[in-house]
Amino acid sequence: MSERNEHVTEQRRQILEMLAENKITADEAEQLIAAVEGERQASPREAAPQAGPRRKYLRVLASDDSAGAGTGHVNIRVPLQLLRAGVRLTSFIPPQAIAKINAELGKSGVPIDLSELKPAQIEELIDHLDELVVDVVDETSSVRVFCE
Amino acid sequence: MMPQLVTVGYRRTRVWIPVLPVVLVLSPLLLFAVIGGLVACRVAGISPLGTLRGVGRFLCALPGTRIEIADGEHALLLSVR
Repeated sequence: MSERNEHVTEQRRQILEMLAENKITADEAEQLIAAVEGERQASPREAAPQAGPRRKYLRVLASDDSAGAGTGHVNIRVPLQLLRAGVRLTSFIPPQAIAKINAELGKSGVPIDLSELKPAQIEELIDHLDELVVDVVDETSSVRVFCE
Repeated sequence: MMPQLVTVGYRRTRVWIPVLPVVLVLSPLLLFAVIGGLVACRVAGISPLGTLRGVGRFLCALPGTRIEIADGEHALLLSVR
């Protein structure tokens, strides 16, 4: 039994003793026990450790050694907050512009309706980027996308 | 937090741009740009205040951005702090 559980059990015993000694009424005892139980249920969530440090940046690392002229590499670090702000900005695209973009995307073989993309959905997607890791490696080049 | 220093680099050349002094110097032009933007918002039928807020959030989220692209002798760097 954990230390906290022992503490709660002790508190309950004290409340029952007070009830037995007629220091408190049955209703008061019930309320006190409910309060103690509520505290016990709330505590594990408060005390639960975080799933990990909150990721702040999206990193894209790419390198290519195949070109004869020399090594090429890309190192991009974008704050996730910037992605969120950018997503919010898309909600200010005028409907006429969205219609034109949709038409051009359709012509290019990408039939995506941007008006169906809601900022809340994209924000949810960004929230889950935390766990994203893309790691592509071959003999001469590599691409790595992750959050840190 | 607003960006304070932007570093732009090409090959081995680096230029450090302090944002606040540059904004202060360009403030008369920025005022015209903001007015032009607000008029454009009105014409396009989108909320000018919402757009201003969105642009503000975007600018405030910029610090920490770093883009570094190198290919052989060519190298480009953009960093916002």
